[in-house]
Amino acid sequence: MALLELNKMCVHYGRIQALSDITLHVEEGEIVSLIGANGAGKTTTMRAVSGIRPLSGGSVVFDGQDISKLRADLRVVRGISQSPEGRGVFPGMTVLENLEMGCYTRKDRAAIAEDFERVFDLFPRLAERKSQVGGTMSGGEQQMVAIGRALMARPRLLLLDEPSMGLAPQFIQQIFRIVKEINEQGTTVLLVEQNAQQALSRAHRGYVLETGRVVKTGTGAELLADPSIKEAYLGVA
Amino acid sequence: MLAQAEDSWIDFNVGLFLDQFWSNTVDGLAYGSIYALIALGYTLVYGVLRLINFAHSEIFITGAFGAYFAMEALGLKPGPTARLGILEIIGFLLLMMAVAMIISGVSAVVLERVAYRPLRKRNAPTLVFLITAVGASFVIQQLFFVSRGANPEPALRLIRPTEVFTVFGARVTNIQLLVFVAALLLLVVADQFINRSRLGRGVRAVAQDPVTATLMGVNRERVIMLTFLIGGVLAGAAAVFYLLQIPQGVVYNGGFLLGIKAFTAAVLGGIGNLRGALLGGLLLGVVENYGQSLLGGEWRDIVAFVLLIVILMFRPTGILGESLGKARV
Ligand SMILES: Nc1ncnc2c1ncn2[C@@H]1O[C@H](COP(=O)(O)OP(=O)(O)OP(=O)(O)O)[C@@H](O)[C@H]1O
Ligand SMILES: [Mg+2]
Repeated sequence: MALLELNKMCVHYGRIQALSDITLHVEEGEIVSLIGANGAGKTTTMRAVSGIRPLSGGSVVFDGQDISKLRADLRVVRGISQSPEGRGVFPGMTVLENLEMGCYTRKDRAAIAEDFERVFDLFPRLAERKSQVGGTMSGGEQQMVAIGRALMARPRLLLLDEPSMGLAPQFIQQIFRIVKEINEQGTTVLLVEQNAQQALSRAHRGYVLETGRVVKTGTGAELLADPSIKEAYLGVA
Repeated sequence: MLAQAEDSWIDFNVGLFLDQFWSNTVDGLAYGSIYALIALGYTLVYGVLRLINFAHSEIFITGAFGAYFAMEALGLKPGPTARLGILEIIGFLLLMMAVAMIISGVSAVVLERVAYRPLRKRNAPTLVFLITAVGASFVIQQLFFVSRGANPEPALRLIRPTEVFTVFGARVTNIQLLVFVAALLLLVVADQFINRSRLGRGVRAVAQDPVTATLMGVNRERVIMLTFLIGGVLAGAAAVFYLLQIPQGVVYNGGFLLGIKAFTAAVLGGIGNLRGALLGGLLLGVVENYGQSLLGGEWRDIVAFVLLIVILMFRPTGILGESLGKARV
């Protein structure tokens, strides 16, 4: 049984249909990449999975249960956390407070302490900047806060929306290495990326989105080798 | 020359201002604590919903009526101050506080449910919220008018004002001291709650980024309810302190001017900023007293609003700026 299943999921913004019949699944333990051009509907898919955008059709099934109508805050309790597009770092909170927001719904103090250790291990920079205010962090540092914060929920499914956005190349490498590491520690990851090369080479499988539809799917290697994808997303003629 | 130079329309009575400076300061701080407590309700709701809850002044007067009827039920009679032992006074006070805080807190939450939540569900534009807030304010006011009439309730006096000590010759009464200390205490507790507790962090998260807050598992609706509750409870406390200082002030529209002043105080300090509400409240209380003795009683309210406009001209975000939403205190 897949950890996450989207069945013919549709989402509208007013009269505009952003997603049409999206069907995909993410198995426990996988990294699945979602790639596509600007406006293809990647962020909308993430929002719908997290529950901050209602469906206009189809369903979201998590761990065997239909959560299409479940309130967004309760989906966090079920085990879905997200590092959103644009990072969403709370500007007036310190790094520590931001991370504490990640475990807002949790009560297991001992495990929370472990997760703080883990996040500070993954991002030593955050350990140095615990009391810096979010709004004054650099873009890359904010990205670390956003990912670390999502991890503080100890999710079963981690949604990452463009974790490499606006980062320097060596930073991008580092972020993807960390995503791999998180996955190897047992967290399932659904990854949205513009950076198709990186995203597909790190992922077990991938889906290609075009104007709100899934147009291709396969293993990371298959998609990387696909000529039309090479041309459209990898900048290879 | 047709007319003699008449009394000029504005007179500066510097002598009186200097004479009364310290007593004005003391009185202003005591009365300003009430502004500060009410201002917190405006600021919290604004921080979380970007809504100016104009009906907050009626939440306050609802608490005042509640406390008043509690006094009546306890057997207090209009006329001279009741002769009560110190323990009785403390007990009565605590009871009044409890009644007023519960009544104001509950009515704030009910107001939110009945007036604002349905609009939120339908994604109503900001203007609709504003009109609803003004409407709710009038409705509650008129309910008191219809049921209690236009005249103030006869004054009930629980504590006789007596001098405790003097500051530079200005007398400080037991009531003033009590109100100032208790209000300060309540505001510190509220501030710590918002800045240190887990729930408080949820409130700040919603104020700073509601969508991301939801992604963290914060229930926005519950946070909104909580802010109305806190604002209401503090307005209830303010109502008791008001009753102690102005026993004859329980009247259907008694919240109106006070509400506007408290709102002014919130903007003055920086709306959305808890400590700004405290600073703004105390500052406004003091400055309008200075204005009154310098220029005359009819200038009291004008001074308050001129102060607001002048400060906003130089610091559009208020003295301390917006903090619940942006920078840390
Ligand atoms: N709030 C909104 N209101 C109206 N339309 C929207 C809204 N958000 C997104 N859309 C539209 O929905 C479509 C999908 O947008 P989405 O943000 O999901 O794309 P994306 O794949 O994440 O793009 P990008 O790579 O640029 O982040 C776009 O056509 C976009 O214009
Ligand atoms: Mg996007």
